[in-house]
Amino acid sequence: MKQFKLLTVLFLVAVLTYSCAEDDSPQLPKGDYEKGYFITNEGPFQNGSGTISFVDETGNVAQSIFKSVNHKDLGSVVQSMALHDDFAYIVVNNSHKVEVANRYTMKSIATIEGDDIKNPRHFVAIGNTGYISNWGDAGDATDDYIAVVDLATNTVTKKIPVGEGPEDMLVDGNKIYVNLQGGWSQNNKVVVIDTSSNTVASTLEVGDVPNSIIKDASGTIWVLCGGKPSFSGTETNGKLAQIENETVTMLDFGTAKHPNHLTLDGSNLYYDLNGKVFAMSTTATELPTAEVSGLDGSYYSLKANDGKLYATNAGDFQSEGSLKVYDLSDNSLKETVVTGLIPGSVVFQ
Amino acid sequence: MKYIIGFFFIGAITFAQTDTIHLLDEVKLYGNFSPQINSGYQVQILSDSIINNHQQSLGNLLQNQANLYFKQNGNRMVSSISLRGSGASHTGVYWNGIAINSSLDGQTDFNTFSANGYNQIEIRKGGGGILFGSGAVGGAINLRDKIIFKDKFQTQINLGLASYDTQKGLVRSQYSNQKIYAKIVVEGNKSANDYPYLGTDIVNENGAFKNYHIKSVLGYKINQNNQLQFFATLSDNDRNLSRTLTSPSNSKLTNWQNRVLLNWKNFGQAYNSSLKVAYLDEEYNYYSNKESSDYTFGKSKNIILKYDFKYFISSHISLHSGIENKYSTANGSSLLDKYRNDFEAYALLHQNPIEKLQYNISVRKGFSSVYKIPLIYAADLKYQLSSGLNIKANFSTNYRLPTYNDLFWNPGGNPDLLAENSKSGELGLGYYQNKLSINLTSYITKSKNLIQWRPETPTYWKPINIQDVMSYGLEFEFKTQQNFGKHMLELQSQYAYTVSKDNVLDKQLIYVPYHKATASLNYTYKDFTVNFNEQYNGKVFTTTSNTQTVNAYWLTNLEIYKSFLKQQLTVGVLVNNLFNTAYQSVSYRPMPNRNFEFNINYKF
Repeated sequence: MKQFKLLTVLFLVAVLTYSCAEDDSPQLPKGDYEKGYFITNEGPFQNGSGTISFVDETGNVAQSIFKSVNHKDLGSVVQSMALHDDFAYIVVNNSHKVEVANRYTMKSIATIEGDDIKNPRHFVAIGNTGYISNWGDAGDATDDYIAVVDLATNTVTKKIPVGEGPEDMLVDGNKIYVNLQGGWSQNNKVVVIDTSSNTVASTLEVGDVPNSIIKDASGTIWVLCGGKPSFSGTETNGKLAQIENETVTMLDFGTAKHPNHLTLDGSNLYYDLNGKVFAMSTTATELPTAEVSGLDGSYYSLKANDGKLYATNAGDFQSEGSLKVYDLSDNSLKETVVTGLIPGSVVFQ
Repeated sequence: MKYIIGFFFIGAITFAQTDTIHLLDEVKLYGNFSPQINSGYQVQILSDSIINNHQQSLGNLLQNQANLYFKQNGNRMVSSISLRGSGASHTGVYWNGIAINSSLDGQTDFNTFSANGYNQIEIRKGGGGILFGSGAVGGAINLRDKIIFKDKFQTQINLGLASYDTQKGLVRSQYSNQKIYAKIVVEGNKSANDYPYLGTDIVNENGAFKNYHIKSVLGYKINQNNQLQFFATLSDNDRNLSRTLTSPSNSKLTNWQNRVLLNWKNFGQAYNSSLKVAYLDEEYNYYSNKESSDYTFGKSKNIILKYDFKYFISSHISLHSGIENKYSTANGSSLLDKYRNDFEAYALLHQNPIEKLQYNISVRKGFSSVYKIPLIYAADLKYQLSSGLNIKANFSTNYRLPTYNDLFWNPGGNPDLLAENSKSGELGLGYYQNKLSINLTSYITKSKNLIQWRPETPTYWKPINIQDVMSYGLEFEFKTQQNFGKHMLELQSQYAYTVSKDNVLDKQLIYVPYHKATASLNYTYKDFTVNFNEQYNGKVFTTTSNTQTVNAYWLTNLEIYKSFLKQQLTVGVLVNNLFNTAYQSVSYRPMPNRNFEFNINYKF
C-alpha cells in the first residue's frame, strides 16, 4: 500500500512537471470530453438515475461519464444540459437540482439545489447569470417560475413567476424567450424576460403547447406548437409561430396534426410529425407537404448541427435507447449509437 | 448457488431420521381449491398458527412462508407478485372463493391486505383458468375463513411494538355453537417507517403508513342440509410513498376496500351446492403532493353472482359445474363512467376409476359486453406410483381479460384489446411419509397476446396485445419434522428456478428472479419456540435488455416465542434482517435495516 502511495506521488510529480513544461503550448487537451458531443439520458422514470453519454470525434461512445468521473449518480430524470463558459449545467428534474460540472472533464463542481429549485426543466445563461425554468409543484398551475442564478456562487437570487409549464428557453440579446408548454397540462404562451431587470417584459400568445424554440440567422424566432392532444378533450391543431419584433404570425398544420422537436440547420427548419421528418426553408411562407424521405422514425428528440441530423429513439423506455446520425446533404444514415435509458437530448461541445 | 445446494444438504441430513407424526393435516376443503378437483396440481396450505403468530401484511407472510416473489417499492409500499415468471396481474387472488384482484388494473397490492384473522390461506400454483376465471395464469391464492359449528368462545388480543415507531394491535373474537358461528377481527397498524437507507445518509422520511382492517364472519346452520354464511371486510390503507435513492418524495396513496359476501350452502344425498352473492368496492386516491388537497382517483364497484353445483354420480365419478356473472362499474380521474358485464360457466368431470388414479377434465366459456372471452379447457391427473410416491400432471389453457385501465384509460386506453391467452403444462413428483414430504415440479407456460403499454407518441402510451412469453421452471419443496423427547424440530425449504423470456427479445423478463429460495427452521421445547427464517432472492434484471440488475440478497429473520399460563399468554421477540443486510427489492428503493418487534398475545 505504501509503495502504491509512493508510486502515486511519483506519478503526480511527473504529471505536474510535464504540465509545467508544456504550459506554453495552446494544444494542451482540456479534458477527455473536449471534442465531440453529449447525449443526456433521462434514465428510468422513478427507480434509478439518468446518465450522460459522450461520443468523441472518432465515434467512440462512453456511457455514464458523470458517474465514472465522480463516482456518484446524477439523479432521477436528467431533463437537459446546457454548456456555458467552462461549465456544463445538468438539469435533474426529479431530484430537483442542477449539477454543475467542468464541461471538458465532467468533474463535479457544485450543485444548485434547495427550496428554490423545484422540478427544474432547462437552463440558459447570459454572462454571469443563469436562468432555470421550474414547474414548481407539478400539480399546481400557479407556482411556476424562472430561477435566476448567480453563477459565481451557484445560488438562486430571484424567482420570476411565470404561467404554467415553463420549458425550453432561448437567449436573444438581453432577452430570454420562455416557452410555456404547460407542464402536465397545456399552455399557449411565450414569455419574454428582460434580463436587465429580471422581470417579465411581455407575454406573447402562440399556438397550444409550444414545445421547441429556435432563432434563425436573420434573427427571426420560430416556436413550434404541438397543439392540444386528443386526450385533453379539446384537441387543437399544431402551429408554427414566427416571432419578429415580438409580433407573432402562425402557420396552421391542420386537423389533428401534432408536430414536435423543431431544430435548425443553416437556413432549413426540421421537425417531426407522425413518425416522419419534414424540412422547411426559413424563407418559405407555407408548411411543407411532403416529408424528407430517408429520415423516418419515431424520435424522442431531434437536433441538427453542422449539416447532420441527430435523432434519438427511446425504444421501449425500459432499455438502452439509440441515436441515429443522418447526413443532411443526402439524408443518408451515417451512424447509429447506443445510448443510455431514454435519450432526451444531444448537446454539442 | 453454493448456498442453495447447502439448503438441500441440510434438508437431506434431517431427512435421514423420521418417525410417525402426521405432517400433512388432512384438511377437508370444499371449495374450488379442494385437493380432489385439483388432483394434478400443487396446493399449499398455510394454517392458522402460521398466519396468526404475529401481525404482518399478506405480502410478507407469503414471501417468508411460501417462497413467492414480490416486487416491493420499499417496506410496506406497493407490492406486486410474480408467480412462475408471470406478470403482476397473472395471479388470481380470492377471498372465500371470490376474485378480488382490482378491476382497475387486474393486480393485487399485497401490502394493502392483512394476513391476520384468516383460518387458512390456500396457494395453488399453475394455470387455473377453469375454476378461477380470468387472470389465474401463474396461480391462485385464496384467503379463507372457515366456519365450524362447535362450542367455542374465545377472544384473542395481540399487541406489538416495533422499530421505526411502529404500533400494532388486533382483537379477534369468536363465538360458536352447534348452530351459530360468529367471528370478528379488528386490526390496526401504524408506523413512521423512517428507516435509514443503509450505506447512505438518507432516511425513508416519507414512508409513514397506517391502516386498519375490520372483518366479520357469521354462520347459521339452518338444518343438516342448509347453511347460511356471511363474510364482510373493510380495510383502509393510508401510505406516504417512499423516496428513492435519487429522488425525494412528497406523495401519498390511500386505498380503501369493502367486501361483502353472502353464501347459501345446500347439501343433498348426492350433491352439494353453493350460491354466492358478493359486492366488492375498491377505491384509491393518489396525492402527488400529500399536503395538497388535489388528488387523482380510481374506483370500481362489482356485483358477483356465483353458483357452484357438485353432483356425485357414483362413488368414483362426480360432476362439478358453475356459473358466474360479474357486473362492474368503474370511474376515476382518467376513466369516465364505464361498466361491463361478464358471464362465465364451467364444467369439470372428476373420476377415480381405480384407487391409484384420479383425474379431471374441464372446460370453461364466457361472454362479455366488451370483449370476446375464449373457450378454455384443461385436464389433470394424479397417479400413485407406490406407497408414498405419486405423480401429478396437468395441462391447461388460460386467459386474462383486459382491465378497465387497459380498455378505457384516458389517454391511451384501447377498447379493441383481446384477451391474453396461455397454455401450461406441468409434471410433478411427490413423496410423502409420516414425517417427511418432498415435491419436485416442472412446468412450462406459453403466453400469447400479452397486453403491454407501449409509447404511442412521446406524450402518451397505449396498451396493445403484443408480447409473447415463454416461461418454464422447476420447484422443489421439502418438509420434515423430528422429535427428540420434548424437543421438536421442523424444517421446511423451498426453491424455485424460473425462466421467463420475451420471445422477441429473447431476454428474461424484468423483475423475475432466476433463483428464489426459502428455508425455515422451527425449534420447539415445551412452551418455548425459536424460528429461524432464511430467504434468498436471486438477482433480477431492471432493463428489458438485461443490462442492469438489482443484486441478489440473503435475508435472515429470527423469531422467539415463550408461552405462559397454559398457552394463554405468548410473548414474542422478532428480529428482522438479523445481519443488517443492505438490500433492495426494486432498484434504488432500499429495504429496512435490522429491526425489532416485541409482541404479546393473550387468549381467553
